[in-house]
Amino acid sequence: MNPMPASEAMVFSPAVPEIFLACAAMALLMIGVFRRSDESRTLSTLSVATLAIAFVLVVIFGREPARAFEGLFIVDQFAVFMKALVLIGSASAIVLAVRFNANEGLDRFEYPVIVVLATLGMMMMISANDFIALYLGLELQSLSLYVLAAFRRDSVRSTEAGLKYFVLGALSSGLLLYGASLIYGFAGSTGFDALARVLAAGAPESTWIGVVFGLVFVSAGLAFKVSAVPFHMWTPDVYEGAPTPVTAFFAVAPKVAAVALFLRVLTGPFGPLVADWQQVIVVISVGSMLIGAFAAIVQTNIKRLMAYSSIGHVGYAFVGLAAGTEAGVRGVLIYMAIYLFMNLGTFACILCMRQNGRMVEDIEDLAGLSKTHPMVAAAMGTFMFSMAGIPPLAGFFGKVYVFLPAIEAGLVTLAVIGVLTSVVSCFYYLRIVKIMYFDEVVEPFDRPIGREVGAILWATGLVILLFIVYPAPILAPATTAAASLFGG
Amino acid sequence: MPQTMPDALLPLVVGLPFAAAIVAGFLSTHARGAAALLAGAVAVVDVVLIWVAYPTVAGGGVLLFELEWMPALGLNFVLRMDGFAWLFAGLVAAIGALIVLYARYYMSPEDPVPRFFSFLLAFMGSMTGMVLSGNLIQLAFFWELTSLFSFLLIGYWYHTAQARDGARMALTVTAAGGLCLFAGVLVLGHIVGSYELDRVLASGEHIRAHPLYLTALILILLGALTKSAQFPFHFWLPHAMAAPTPVSAYLHSATLVKAGVFLMARFWPALAGTEAWFWIVGTAGVTTLLIGAYVAIFQHDLKGLLAYSTISHLGLITLLLGLNSEVGLVAAVFHAMNHATFKASLFMAAGIIDHETGTRDIRRLSGLHRFMPFTARLAMVAAAAMAGVPLLNGFLSKEMFFAEALRAPTSHLLIHDLIPVGAVLASAFSVTYSLRFIHGAFFGPDPVDLPRVPREPPSWMRFPVEILVLACIIVGILPAATVGPFLDTAIRSILGEATPQYSLEVWHGLSQPLLMSVVALIGGVALYLALQRHLLKGVEGAPLIRRLDARRIFDRTMVFLSWRLARTLEGVLGTRRLQPQLRLMLCVAALAGLCAVYVRGLGPGNLFPAPPDPALALVWAVGIACAIGAAWKAKFHRLAALILLGVAGLVTCVTFVWFSAPDLALTQLLVEVVTTVLLLLGLRWLPKRFEVGRPPEPRVYTLARHLTDLAIAVIAGVGMAALAFAVMTRTPPELLAQHFLARAYTEGGGTNVVNVILVDFRGFDTLGEITVLGVVALTVFALLRRFRPAADSIELPEQQRDQLAYDAAHPRQTDGETVSDWLLVPSLITRVLFPVIWVIALFLLLRGHDLPGGGFVAGLTAAVALILQYLIGGTRWIEDRLTVQPLRWMGIGLLIATTTGLAAWLFGRPFLTSYFDYLELPLFGTVPLASALFFDIGVFALVIGAATLMLIALAHQSVRGHRVAQASEEGQPTPPPRQAPALAGED
Repeated sequence: MNPMPASEAMVFSPAVPEIFLACAAMALLMIGVFRRSDESRTLSTLSVATLAIAFVLVVIFGREPARAFEGLFIVDQFAVFMKALVLIGSASAIVLAVRFNANEGLDRFEYPVIVVLATLGMMMMISANDFIALYLGLELQSLSLYVLAAFRRDSVRSTEAGLKYFVLGALSSGLLLYGASLIYGFAGSTGFDALARVLAAGAPESTWIGVVFGLVFVSAGLAFKVSAVPFHMWTPDVYEGAPTPVTAFFAVAPKVAAVALFLRVLTGPFGPLVADWQQVIVVISVGSMLIGAFAAIVQTNIKRLMAYSSIGHVGYAFVGLAAGTEAGVRGVLIYMAIYLFMNLGTFACILCMRQNGRMVEDIEDLAGLSKTHPMVAAAMGTFMFSMAGIPPLAGFFGKVYVFLPAIEAGLVTLAVIGVLTSVVSCFYYLRIVKIMYFDEVVEPFDRPIGREVGAILWATGLVILLFIVYPAPILAPATTAAASLFGG
Repeated sequence: MPQTMPDALLPLVVGLPFAAAIVAGFLSTHARGAAALLAGAVAVVDVVLIWVAYPTVAGGGVLLFELEWMPALGLNFVLRMDGFAWLFAGLVAAIGALIVLYARYYMSPEDPVPRFFSFLLAFMGSMTGMVLSGNLIQLAFFWELTSLFSFLLIGYWYHTAQARDGARMALTVTAAGGLCLFAGVLVLGHIVGSYELDRVLASGEHIRAHPLYLTALILILLGALTKSAQFPFHFWLPHAMAAPTPVSAYLHSATLVKAGVFLMARFWPALAGTEAWFWIVGTAGVTTLLIGAYVAIFQHDLKGLLAYSTISHLGLITLLLGLNSEVGLVAAVFHAMNHATFKASLFMAAGIIDHETGTRDIRRLSGLHRFMPFTARLAMVAAAAMAGVPLLNGFLSKEMFFAEALRAPTSHLLIHDLIPVGAVLASAFSVTYSLRFIHGAFFGPDPVDLPRVPREPPSWMRFPVEILVLACIIVGILPAATVGPFLDTAIRSILGEATPQYSLEVWHGLSQPLLMSVVALIGGVALYLALQRHLLKGVEGAPLIRRLDARRIFDRTMVFLSWRLARTLEGVLGTRRLQPQLRLMLCVAALAGLCAVYVRGLGPGNLFPAPPDPALALVWAVGIACAIGAAWKAKFHRLAALILLGVAGLVTCVTFVWFSAPDLALTQLLVEVVTTVLLLLGLRWLPKRFEVGRPPEPRVYTLARHLTDLAIAVIAGVGMAALAFAVMTRTPPELLAQHFLARAYTEGGGTNVVNVILVDFRGFDTLGEITVLGVVALTVFALLRRFRPAADSIELPEQQRDQLAYDAAHPRQTDGETVSDWLLVPSLITRVLFPVIWVIALFLLLRGHDLPGGGFVAGLTAAVALILQYLIGGTRWIEDRLTVQPLRWMGIGLLIATTTGLAAWLFGRPFLTSYFDYLELPLFGTVPLASALFFDIGVFALVIGAATLMLIALAHQSVRGHRVAQASEEGQPTPPPRQAPALAGED
């Protein structure tokens, strides 16, 4: 081995949060293994604490933009913003699961540990500045998620979900990897900085085709990860099959991370190719919005409904990305932040759907919730209205922030389709409200709903309600984050 | 500009109702009086605040209040009050105050009244906010809020199904319209380049000339027309009558439905004046005017009658706005005010009747004027205003309407003639239903078996009606002196310089409009008399268009959209099965690739391949055939597919050799062999295909699916091949390969570049990789240790069973003889091969640094030797004779590799620094000796261990499986699952 030149190669400090998380995950695993007890509350608490520390580290070490590992790893305001969202999502997913797992006989210490590992993968994805680093993070995340999807091993549905997710996910990873290798083969580098330089300089005509192909395949692989049409098929099955807290986790953290990846890849190395990918994103966005709106209507299972809803939301977020401008990216960031809180809240409500100690998942089971659990019903109603994009809730502003830049970029049709599909999606969100408030109680849900779930409900509900009054905590960092992605 | 009211009071006007709504929401359920007092106080304060602002707006001033809201978007929270906004805000607040008073007496103590007032106040706040909005986004925002709170108000009595359906329908229609409006204002803002209302209103010319004008117009009008219940979106309004009467009186006279009208008038300078505007707005207006009036005649419910009459009057206002004339706008705004006063009072009167008698059905009511004379008189005046009787306010605006109808600015003669006729007809209808309202409820014989004994209401409940009716009369007699200035202020703020001359006189002389009024009055009375008999029959619904039930159409549309279409979509696009999902993914990827080629073109390749050698072409043909065969068989015969795939892999190997990449070929060959063998072993334990209890489908379908899959496979394969070809015919850029090629010998001391990369340049990666390989092997082993094969795969293979049966059938054979003799020659050869293969492995290992070979390949070769023994001899046979200790191999391998790396530290170099030199060996001559060789030995050992460990894990399935099968065959209880016999490597 040759001695390395003393360069930035050995700079570790930007990656301190990830290094900490990696060590902590292994330590947690060891604690879990050697305690020889299946009780997971202690480990959950420790995991949440770990994520909290990681959050602090992310903020501390993310003040200055920096690169590590010879530019493979990048930390900027964008990374900090997205990592903060991911950490919030992951920690909430652990918190939500504590009671559920205990009740459902899933009380195994692996759950929080795998969530922490998946989070590590996501943070790697967000900070990746090279296709190799990207793939590393992506696979760590995906493998953890495959396991989580099949976490309820003795349930056919859950194992089927895990297997399906694995097979399809492997295929999509393959596509992505193939695309990345094509890009490397033609552009001569896997590093995002170098790629951006090469592509901006305008490579010779003969290599364009490889780069465009690579872009197509990489986009396809990433589209799978964010469950955008036409790579959305797995979403409803996996959401339905996986245990509910896992579904909640799937719906928030990995999606935020994958969107982050999408943003970084498209605006970074492929920034010069904006004309090429804009069309792709428009198609993906329109498809996702349409499928998300129409297919959700017929669902009777609330988790499947949320799956289609999440497909639709990705479509809306991509309206902002399609604009390809800094304002558009800022819109996506704000949208994802709001989406995260709405979804966490909704899943907290879904976790309250328990009759006689048994989880139920039918939308009809929500009948008369307003009479038996007025606060839960009010929270759920708030989230539904917010998802439908009805003011004054945060969801409305999320849509404003993505539609406006799209229109400014001249994508009027796209924005109009977006608004029209949200009309359609209103229909099913409001149906839930109607069922909760207007239908007669058939069988009331169990109570109490649990402190953890209650706390998440309150926290997310307040975020959604108060965004209109005090949007700065999301707006300001999103603005600087978007600026940092565009080299500001 | 005289500034009598500070601009900062504007947020108070909007904010106060919201604040009070929150307070009211927290009041106790029975705090009826407190909630009403609060609501009333807020409404009165609002009225006062708005009144205070009058001098400013009357002078043509505009009150502005700005607050930074979403600075990132350049959006400010702007409240802006000009004359027009002032007028509507005043209406909202003033009628709101009266409604609160009325509701105080109307609402029953059993209802949760504070909630009612809370919603009402919030609605009032959103309505005021909408009217005063100074930017478009904010306007859409408050617009949606009004939909939301009207939903809550209409659904207030949510225990009745009607209220629920009505509320849901209202919300669906108006919120959907609101979202369209949202899209519309976004487009409008895009056209203008600003979302500030002032700038939008000032750029009418620019907007109308813009290519996106029609898009914006249609979207905005969708919002306005749904809200104002215009045809074909009118159906939600009658169903919203399930709301408490104060709500109907408020929402459907002065506020909610007027929002659409307000919007159209607000954007009049920006959007109106085009053909499109005339056709869309005018058509909607005239249709609604006629249909609403016609249907209203045949309603039996007092509120239903008023609802349709509201629809009709809104149609009238819309039509006026659609005529593209300034005077039309004046008439529209004037009629909007008048309609608010008389319709609110009529709704309240209907509510009083309902409250005091217990029914609103005209067929059951009659002769009430003897029981409630005062209410009867008030209602009569209001109804007369609605019918357009002279000396009342309704008459004035109707006159203006007639005058405008005669001057409709259109080139189409037919339309020109039709509009006045339609106007008179609708007017006659309105006389008829007004008569019916009065005559049906208040005249005729005494009512029989009403739910309650009718009497006059509490005088405070009547008070709001009195005020409004008084307003109808005063305005009707002295229009210019009373509302004249207000109207003028409002119109001036919209039209500015373009404000036309108009007159608010009661008497214009014997003019054509007067004639039309007279005709309408007489016609209406005559029609009522003629219809008496039909109406007494009490048939539901209006004749002729009874079947055209808009609500049913709405329901059907909703069912179609939301159920059938969605279901079909899901049926077509959605599937829960894995295979179609995989297929879709592949197809989309292939399609995306094709699109990329189509859009960008392939571009010129700059390298040209040498002409293909016939021999290689032949080998390739075999390979392609095998690949296609594998695709064809994949779903139906796994074994055949696997073998064919193996052949295709071998062809790849040959290709590598052909193009002088022996090391690659070697690796490919071994990986191919090992994976094929492992897959074969795995296949053994897969469950058999199970038959689904479905009737067998025709062979044609099966074949078709088969062919489709094959086609997809071929297309994907050809695509990949084409892509590979495209890649290889282009000069690659400066890649890492050059870097390694240049340095492999000078810095790594080896000529086998791949090996040098593995053990030297990227030695650290390899160390990590072999560790992972070890972990994977352990995991496979750990997982399979507890694995029990599927029941149907436990049985002996068919061939062995046949052979055993043969032994049993032939007395000369001892049991199991045939099986043990089976494939005797190959197995002997394989055993002989074992040491040979090992020698090859060692050879590959030693020469790896400079020639094709290396630790990885050598390890795989050695493992292949073992695997072959397992395959041919059987697990028991081989393990009786040979002890393999995979864990030790792995452990030692890792240890060697790590120690080599650590050794560098002894010499003060970084971890894994390599050293190389040449060694003179007596027999072999000069041998290169690199520290990398030791590292490679570590790799070698680990690969052997890992591959063997996985092999053992799989192989032991057979030992275990057979034992269980035998045990159950012999009728013994199945022994509890035990560990396989203690073997090296297992526990």
